[in-house]
Amino acid sequence: MQFNGNDSGSGLQSEINITPLVDVVLVLLIIFMVVVPLLMEGYDVDIPRASADTSAQVAESQLILRIGPEACPMLGPPAGEGIPKNCQVTLADQKIPAAELQARVAALLGGRPAEQRALFLAVDDRMNYEGVLRIIDLAKSGVEDLKIEFVAAN
Amino acid sequence: MRLGEPARMQATINITPLVDVVLVLLIIFMVMAPQMRKGPDVKLPNTTKPNSQGDERGRILVSIDESGGLWINDQLVKPEHFDETLRAAVGAETNPRVVIRGDAKLNFREVREAMVAVEQAGFHGVGLIAKRAGAEGK
Repeated sequence: MQFNGNDSGSGLQSEINITPLVDVVLVLLIIFMVVVPLLMEGYDVDIPRASADTSAQVAESQLILRIGPEACPMLGPPAGEGIPKNCQVTLADQKIPAAELQARVAALLGGRPAEQRALFLAVDDRMNYEGVLRIIDLAKSGVEDLKIEFVAAN
Repeated sequence: MRLGEPARMQATINITPLVDVVLVLLIIFMVMAPQMRKGPDVKLPNTTKPNSQGDERGRILVSIDESGGLWINDQLVKPEHFDETLRAAVGAETNPRVVIRGDAKLNFREVREAMVAVEQAGFHGVGLIAKRAGAEGK
């Protein structure tokens, strides 16, 4: 840079050098662009036990949610968002509209200590997977740290 | 730089190193991107509030495509070889987590069978991967 005799101070470097700043920002941008699509979201569930200990696990205090295609006709992917209005599920042997599920599960399990908050799902094989996940989503949204476990449907 | 002074000092930012860096990064990611995508294309179910399941890397991905084919990471496996392939995929990992990416069109039976197979291979608990409704991408 040329030094100007009759006006020293401001002539030296009057602008901030933004090149390194832009470099860092662009690198960060690219890192996040690459990482974000690899992050996944979903639901933790426990797997149906393979053998006969299913029946032993389903004790009286356990809350069972039954989902079947007779009461909740979701054999294909549900159209739009949410669950169809005519979908009914059976919670603790009581048939309720799926829309009420969130409130019912919250009422039944909300008072329990966190480690006992478990919902047992008996899902018919013919149900559509997306529909099942939406019902799980609804049930989970009422209670924090709700454990989901699958049991045999019959 | 002051007004009225000849512009020969440095009138513009030197963007050459910037462009260098960006182009090199672009090339690196263009080369790596196809290898980072594991498994088949799956249309994930749409839900409202899925929980975070972490990064795709470091998880064992069990994918079930639209026609019910089982994939472990990026490999299509036959049901009878599922066990051994899953164990091979675990390898030396100490705390493996299995996630299931099931297609939205599937019946629950196919997903349940995959979960049972994962359970029989010795894993307790899986993550069922969904997509937040309205979110972009896969």
